[in-house]
Amino acid sequence: MSIITQSIANADREVRYLNPGELSAIHDFYQSGSERLRIAAILSVHESQIVEKGSRKFWERCPITPSNCGNPVYQASCLRDQSWYLRLVTYAVVVGNVEPIETSGIRGAKAMYTSLGVPLENLVKCMGCLKEAALEMLPYDDGLEVASYFDYIIQGMK
Amino acid sequence: MNHNLESFVNRTLKSHGEMAMQDAITALINSSDVQGRYLDNSGVDKLRTYYQSGEMRARAAIAISANASPLVTQAVAKSLMYTDITAPGGNMYTCRRYAACIRDMDYFLRYATYAMLAGDVSILDERILNGLRETYNALGVPIGATIRAVQSMKEVTTDLIGAEAGKEMAVYFDYICTGLS
Repeated sequence: MSIITQSIANADREVRYLNPGELSAIHDFYQSGSERLRIAAILSVHESQIVEKGSRKFWERCPITPSNCGNPVYQASCLRDQSWYLRLVTYAVVVGNVEPIETSGIRGAKAMYTSLGVPLENLVKCMGCLKEAALEMLPYDDGLEVASYFDYIIQGMK
Repeated sequence: MNHNLESFVNRTLKSHGEMAMQDAITALINSSDVQGRYLDNSGVDKLRTYYQSGEMRARAAIAISANASPLVTQAVAKSLMYTDITAPGGNMYTCRRYAACIRDMDYFLRYATYAMLAGDVSILDERILNGLRETYNALGVPIGATIRAVQSMKEVTTDLIGAEAGKEMAVYFDYICTGLS
């Protein structure tokens, strides 16, 4: 949910129009919109590079893991899931909220990976590597915002 | 093909009651997510246009909320007050029915303003239109007169907020009318 739908839902619950404070927050959100689209575009344009770098770092730091055991299906799944989380991060950047990550990437994730036999601590390391690889593509200030979304994923998998 | 998929997914979600209120941003994200895609260029361009009109949207919302009740009064005066509908035997005769009409126009204006801020019609579907036509028919509320009142609300709102913002509000007023007819 964006700040826009959130404020509308709050106003609707109280049967009123949005107040000046809410409208001014929404106005700021509109103003920051193109910046957020720009950051998301950098990440999506460099998707394959980020995932490749992230994987390399991950397998260096965590060589004994299903995706590095020579099974091509496991390896492909690891790359695919990194792309998947990077994509959710771009959504979160655009909407300015963790909700897309929470809904599509955190709820049920631990149970799913545990049942697939993926050690959660390795997954956490992998997301840390993906985060580093993503931040390397971004100017420092943009990185701060993006880092917080990766941290949310990491926290959610611990 | 993507459009078909999108509407299929939306319908499926709706039928399961899982469709949350959306705005221009979350609508694009949700439809991209179910297809596993990054936001595409046309979607991003749409969002940029939406953000660029943000100033106008916020201003229009402020003006409308400060004038909501006169807007409704003017719209009803313009379209219904001096017609047979308010005379004995008409559908707005007795204060109770008149008040119900004003209340519904209040709702339409408030929800159209929400939808204009969100840049998305899903709020109207979810909170207003879902089942409204059937309810009006069951209660004997004349749809034609309702639509006339919404159309004049569109006119008086445009007079207040100007042509550009008025055009944007018109999208949502017209959507209500289409949903009713």
